[in-house]
Amino acid sequence: MDPQMNKLQRLGYAMQHHGLDMLYGLIILIVGLMITKWLLKLIRNLLDKLLTNATLVSVIANCIGVFLMGLVITASAMQIGLPPGPLITLMMIVVLTGVGIIVIFRPLVPTLPFKVGNVVRAGNLLGKIEATTALNTRLRTFDGKTFFVPNRQVLGDVVVNYHYTKTRRVKIDIAIRYDQDMIKAKRVLEALMIEDARVLNKPSPQVYVMALGPNGIHLGGRCWVNNNKFWVTRCDLLEKTKLRFDREGLAFAYHQLDVNHHYPVQAVEPEEIWEGDAQ
Amino acid sequence: MKITEGMKVIETGWVKKPKGFRVKFQQFQDGELVTAYSPPEDATALDSDVTAWRYAWKLAQATRPDADTLAQGHLVNLTVVDDQDSPVISYITGETEIFNPHS
Repeated sequence: MDPQMNKLQRLGYAMQHHGLDMLYGLIILIVGLMITKWLLKLIRNLLDKLLTNATLVSVIANCIGVFLMGLVITASAMQIGLPPGPLITLMMIVVLTGVGIIVIFRPLVPTLPFKVGNVVRAGNLLGKIEATTALNTRLRTFDGKTFFVPNRQVLGDVVVNYHYTKTRRVKIDIAIRYDQDMIKAKRVLEALMIEDARVLNKPSPQVYVMALGPNGIHLGGRCWVNNNKFWVTRCDLLEKTKLRFDREGLAFAYHQLDVNHHYPVQAVEPEEIWEGDAQ
Repeated sequence: MKITEGMKVIETGWVKKPKGFRVKFQQFQDGELVTAYSPPEDATALDSDVTAWRYAWKLAQATRPDADTLAQGHLVNLTVVDDQDSPVISYITGETEIFNPHS
């Protein structure tokens, strides 16, 4: 007999005797996967409310997802008539192999230099990381735009992670006029920084004379604050500096241009001078 | 005296660093003025005096009485205090300030 005909006959026999079981198995698989997806969404929403750590939520939800999918596949295979024992063993081997590969090769896999919630500058973008996937990173800039940046681009560019360290330095750079009391200005600026509740005691705030510029004396105030309070503290300190300097009578320098007119001096004859005196 | 000891003396003795700020006010309730704080004393205080003064000013603007007579819910004598309940000198004027003053 033709081998092709033989194969078709065997397929027809299988469909005749196990077709209904295979159909039920397929239905169990499709419905099971749909229910799993719905359940996972529910669990993820619930975990989001219970836990604040987004990574932990993702790990727990993924583990539950793998377990539920395994259950659905096993149920579907049992319906077709496959023995559950070897199937479960096979799935365990697959899962354990996967975990083993991840554990062994993880140090070699390039990881993103930030976590969800960090404020970073990646290339020309400055914003907060909202989510990371295997392919891209979702970054929301402070003007409300959402960018999907490919991870290969992030890994190939300079990334500044503003949350990598706990503290950050605040710079208050100002300039005063040359006729102002420089020491008083330094004292006022230093006191302003020390007084602020958010400014850390260590390293202690300092004020330096940065430059004797063309328009005035440049003073640099430096103090350290916790990362999450950096921006507001900086703005508040600038506001307070302006008002306190005004109250203390310290004038800021501003850009100015001195214009000097040079007129040609005409030579005056001695006789003209004598004549002028005589008149 | 070691430098570290000297630094400790400066930290504790030179400039007062408040730990937090609250808006202290009196609210007209049931015919009498009741003193209260915002945020309340059992809640975390504001860490910025700039924010606290701005908040006090906004509260004052929102509840400013139109006439000398007070109505239910009006807020008067709004000021900013520190964690020790001491009045905070306004960073704007350099003096203690009271919004919607009422005796």
